[in-house]
Formats: sequence, structure tokens, C-alpha cells
Amino acid sequence: MPRLPPALFWRARREVSPLAAQLLPACRDLQSAANELRWIREHVRATPSPVPEGLRVWQLVERRGRGIPLQYVLGTQPFGDLEIKCRPGVLIPRHETEAYTLYLASLLAKEQPAAGSSSSSSSSTLSILDLCTGTGCIPLLLLQALLRRPPSPRPSHITVHGIDISPRAIRLARANLAHNTALRLLPPPSPPSASASPSPSYSATFTRASIFSPTLLPTLQSLSPGGWDVLTANPPYISPEGFARSTARAVRNHEPRLALVPPPAEPPPLLRQEDTFYARLLHMAQHLRPKRVVLEVGGWAQAVRVVRMALRGYAGGGGGEIARLYPTVEIWRDEPAGVAGDGTGDREGGGEVVEVAGREVRVRGVGDGRVVYLCR
Amino acid sequence: MFAAPWVCRSCARSLRRVGISRSIRRASTETPVNLPPALLDRARRLAAEHQQLSAALAKDFDAKTAKRAGEISRVADALRQFEKAREALRELHGLLESNDAELRELAQDDLEATNAQLADSSRELSIALTPKHPFADMPCLLEIRPGPGGTEGRFFADSLFHMYRAYCSNKGYRTRVVKYEASDSDGQTGSEGEIALQEAVLEIQEPGAYGLFRGEAGMHRVQRVPATEKSGRTHTSAVAVWVLPSFPENSTSESEADWDNPESDFYINPAEVRSETMRARGAGGQHVNKTESAVRLTHIPTGTTVSMQDSRSQQRNREEAWRLLRSRIAQQRREAREEQARQLRSSVLANSQITRGDKIRTYQYQQDRCTDHRSGLDAHNLPDVLRGGETLGKIMESVQTWLINKDIQALIADEEAAAAARKEGK
Repeated sequence: MPRLPPALFWRARREVSPLAAQLLPACRDLQSAANELRWIREHVRATPSPVPEGLRVWQLVERRGRGIPLQYVLGTQPFGDLEIKCRPGVLIPRHETEAYTLYLASLLAKEQPAAGSSSSSSSSTLSILDLCTGTGCIPLLLLQALLRRPPSPRPSHITVHGIDISPRAIRLARANLAHNTALRLLPPPSPPSASASPSPSYSATFTRASIFSPTLLPTLQSLSPGGWDVLTANPPYISPEGFARSTARAVRNHEPRLALVPPPAEPPPLLRQEDTFYARLLHMAQHLRPKRVVLEVGGWAQAVRVVRMALRGYAGGGGGEIARLYPTVEIWRDEPAGVAGDGTGDREGGGEVVEVAGREVRVRGVGDGRVVYLCR
Repeated sequence: MFAAPWVCRSCARSLRRVGISRSIRRASTETPVNLPPALLDRARRLAAEHQQLSAALAKDFDAKTAKRAGEISRVADALRQFEKAREALRELHGLLESNDAELRELAQDDLEATNAQLADSSRELSIALTPKHPFADMPCLLEIRPGPGGTEGRFFADSLFHMYRAYCSNKGYRTRVVKYEASDSDGQTGSEGEIALQEAVLEIQEPGAYGLFRGEAGMHRVQRVPATEKSGRTHTSAVAVWVLPSFPENSTSESEADWDNPESDFYINPAEVRSETMRARGAGGQHVNKTESAVRLTHIPTGTTVSMQDSRSQQRNREEAWRLLRSRIAQQRREAREEQARQLRSSVLANSQITRGDKIRTYQYQQDRCTDHRSGLDAHNLPDVLRGGETLGKIMESVQTWLINKDIQALIADEEAAAAARKEGK
């Protein structure tokens, strides 16, 4: 990390505030230090407390200045229209995740696959399974977006289910459901009802489980007998070397390694350590056969590797099963709905295509590779 | 020796002020008493159309016809009043020539009142004839930006922001601060505790706010001794205020306010907008956790850029940026069209035209005075103006009157040109 010039601290002190100068080591530039200071002040003003405001601002600035992520300092992060609580030990929701989740929600709202697909019950219910859910941000935002703009034909009931190995994450995900319900950003959960209400009923559950557990697959199959419609996952995808070198300091020092770096594989590794989760996730997709699979990946190279694993098979399984199952395979970039300035981004019609494992794979949006998307 | 006891000058002045309201001096706002024939022709045509439409409406109801009829019903009413007043005047003139002395006297008494009535109704008619501004019914966005120069202009920009906000709360208009970007200086503040403002956008959610505030757009000039000035010199700085029509959030699909409709001024093809999230390049996703949520939109054909970073939520920033971009583009399109219309009627109004770059109002602190350069109104209670009080309301009203008069003149010019063209055609 390059050293900040002392002049920058002077400028921060003179032009903004001494508190901004204290934020500089964490924020690295004047503009974001000024913004973060403003947000800290707004947060203090919005949350009443017997402690004087100036002292609270100072305390929060001091913690942020030490490099603790702002989301942990303030305890929340806006995610779409929702407010997601953040606590140490659980990964903070990222802007990229927000972007593709909203894009997925717009896809779901726009085109409900025509009737006549294998599971007949899917027209009246929509079920979403999120693995490695963390704060529960992905399923909750999908839920919120779909309740506001229900897809047509309108499902009568939406089920979302989140799974994580960390008990902290599960507690936080449940707290987030309650928090956003209390803020009236989500209606209270309701059992499926026969009566025609303006918006579909929904249920949201979060359970603790390891996705490598052999009993998980049968459990998930029994949870949604009609099959799952959407499978999403933001698994750990950083290699140990990448964790040491390319992650930001705030991430490395304060966010849980469990959510970032996959554990080393026990049998002699046939694939890279950062890809171990995708092998398992693709295996699960093959058995659960969800209509859409959305897997977050860490960059273009990994996206191509995951697509190759899906199409060609991978160590220990697969082998073209997925390629037969899912005719649509796409890679989404950071902003799937975005357009590049020179018009190379995606719009209706043409667009970018890459060839992976002998098949043409559509690429959407602008930015780095972020999501591997399968649809049948 | 002296007829009256000696009184010192300041006492004499204060005595003289008692009971005399000198706070406001009205500049002359001339009204055309005699309507030009071209305008009267137009009014007659519209009234005839109104009659036709109401006849059609009596047979079967059609929403579009009803809307048009409602629009021109004011003209028809005003014309009826005008004709009535003129008829009365003619009768009075007839009476004046009669032989009966008593009758003549009575007529003489009535004459003045009737004349006043005629002036009123002709003015009413010309107001009704001026086409309403297409955005007049919309809420508006008030953009405040300091002009080039030091912190003094920025402090005053903050004063203006608070002035408009206070005015709205006095009037009971709902407002929302869309953007309030300051160089958040803790130590330095202006003479009245203002902060140095970089840019502020205030949304006035009242329908019709655009019509009320459109006269506020332009350069506002301030003359005062800044708090930072050591040797007591007066500084002059300027603040730009822009008034943009705001797209109402939950709109009915009116033709003007429907931004999905490519005909509308608010329509922007999403393919023409480049959206940037100002994020550094390099690894994203789980590798970093940026709090930066700034969004910048660039409308490529016009080069208009909007950046928004007030909220922690990128989603919210993007929505606000889109709204602001739509409003700016709509205003630009409208101005371009007005410019075209102005060139058609050529030089008639060229001198009275005030463009965005001209100063429209001066706030003079030393003389406790606020002058509007268009209506020529001098208001002598500056603190009340800056508190958004009644005095500001009076100034804004005078500007409204000025705007209406200007519109009437433009209309007359247009009508005369059209009449001349018709004559030539024959």
C-alpha cells in the first residue's frame, strides 16, 4: 500500500475536518473520507442515545480509522432497497452482488418460463435456494424485488431458503429478515393462502448446514418436492495466495476467512483450491436440477474455469451432464445491465460471445467476470 | 425666528416614516388596455372552438375533447366578460350623448368603474390567451450552485438554499433535499453560520411548483462584507439557481410527464447513457469492500453529466441521478424549443430577454435591500427575504407578473406575425 503524502492529511484537516484526517488511513482519498464522515454523522444523528453526539462520532471515527470496515462500524449496509445488518464474523454484502441480484430479479420478473416444463407445480410457487448465504442478503433482496414486482404468471407463494455453515451467519440472516420486516421493507411472512391477495405470500427460512454434508441433498429434495426454481450461491472463491496478496487490508484483517477462502481439499487436489466449492455446487445442481443457477465467481479467469467445469465435467464427476441439462450458459460481468461507453456492452441482439469448451458462451454487461449463469 | 422647533435630522426621518409603508416600491407594470386586434381574433376563434366542443360533449363524452374544452373554457369566459364590459361601455357612451342631464350625470359616474372593468377583463383575457407553460403543473427541482470565486459565494449559496427551504416550509410546500454537497468545513463558517456549499438540489414536491419558481432561475448576486474580510471591503459574488421540472414519482400517464413515452421531453434512451460507478480498477467482489457508492451518468448526445454520491446505497444514488438527468434533459429540450420560437419572432423582444447568464436579482446587505432586476422591485427588508418570509413572496409575485406580461407581449408578436402571414397568403 503506497504511503499517503502528508500534504493530503493537511488538506483533509484544513478543508474538511480533523476527523476526516483521522479517516484517511482507512479511506485513502479525501472525497471518500469526507463522505464517510458525513455518513457517520448522519448515522449518529439518526440513532438516539444518551451519549453526546460528538463523543459518539469521535468513537466511530476512531474505530473506522483503525481500518475496521465502515459496515461493521455502523452495523448496516444498504443492499438494494433493503438495509442489511452486518456483524463481525459474517461477510459484508458487496455492490457487485447487489447488481447481479437485482438483474436476476428483473429476469425473473420479466420472463417466467412457459408452462409445460417438468414440474407442473412451479407455476403457482417459486422457490429460491441460496447456499453460503452469509447475511442472507441475496435471498432477501430477491424476495423484496419479487414481492414488489411479481413475475407473471404470478406465483401464489414464494419460498426462500438460505444455508450457511456458520451459526453466526444463520443468526444474522434471521435477524436481517426480522429487521427488514420491522422496517416494513418486507411484509410479514405468511403461509400459502388460497385467497387472492395483492402480493404473493412467502416464507423465508435459514438453516445451518455444511454443503459438503452427504445428508444435505436428500434434505433439500424433501424441502421442496416440486424442485427448486433458482439456486444462487456466493461461495468462498479466493485462493490462499490471492488472500495474502490481492485482498484489501480491511477485508484481510476484519472479514471472516471462512467466507473468503475455501478449506484445502482432503484428497490430493485435482482442481485448484479456490474452485473446490464450485465442484460441489455443480454436483448439487445436477441432482436438484433448478431452473436457474447463479454462481458468483472472483474474476474472468475463474468464470471461464467454472464454465469449463460445468461443460466438460470436473475431477470426480459431471462429464457433460450439466451441458445437456442447461442449454443456456452465460457469464455476467460486474454490472450485467450496464452498457459500455463505446457501445460494446450488451443490449438486445448482438453482444459479446466467448468460446469455452467448444461452446459459445454469451457475456453480458461491463466490468470483470462476476457470475456464471446456467438456465434451462 | 424658527417657525417650528429644531428637530435633528434622524429624528425627523423616523417621524416621517411613521405610518408610511415605504418598504416596497413598485415599478410600472404596464397592461395593454386596448387589446390588439390580432389577439382578439385569436380569442374569438378559440371561443368558437369551445362552443363547438361543448356541443360535441353534450352528445357524447370523450376525455380528450373534454380536456381541450377545459383548457380553452377560460378564454371563452374571459372573452364573454370582455364583450360584456365593452357593450356596457358603448351603452354608456350612448347615454352620454342623450339630452337628459340627470341621465348624463349617472352615466358619467358609471363610466370610470366600467372603464376599470374593461381594463381588468382585457388583462384577464390576455392572461387566459397566453399558453400555459407545459411544465407549469409539475413539481420542480431547485439547483443551487455558487459561481466561480472564493468561499464567499459558497456561503451565500447556502443562505439561498436555506431561504428557499424556509419559504417552502412557510408556505407549507413539501420539500426534499436531493443533494446537499458541501466542503464540510468544521472550522470555517460564514457570518451567519453558513457552510461552504458546492451544490445543492432541493425538490419542491408541490404540483405546480415549477410554475411558481420558474422565475427564480438565473444568477443571484450578493453584495456584502464577508466574514473572512479583514479590511471591511464589500465583495460581490454570484450564485446560479436553476429550476428544473421534476418528474413526479407516482405519476398518472399524462403526456408531458410520462418518461416511457418517446414523445415526452423526459424520455431518455437508456442506450445513450453511460453509467459509471466510480470504482477503482482491479479485483472486486470479495477481494475488496468499497464503501464508495458514487454513480455518474453521462448522456452521450448532449454531454450532460450527473453525479450523485449522497447516499450510502448505490441503488438510491442511481435512482436520484436518473431523475436529475431526466429533469436536466427535459429543461434543455424545452429551452432549445423556446430559443427557436424566439428566433421566429425575431427582434421584437430581443432587448427584454433575460438569459440564464444575466443577473436577475441583487441582495445588498449594507443597504438592507433586495432588488429584482426584471420587475424592478426594490424590497427593503432583507432579513425577512432571507428568512423566506412574505417579502420574498412579494418579490416572487412581481416576477410572476413580469413573466406573464412578457408572455403576453410574445403572444401578441406571434399573433401579429401570423395575421400578416395570413393576409399575404390571401
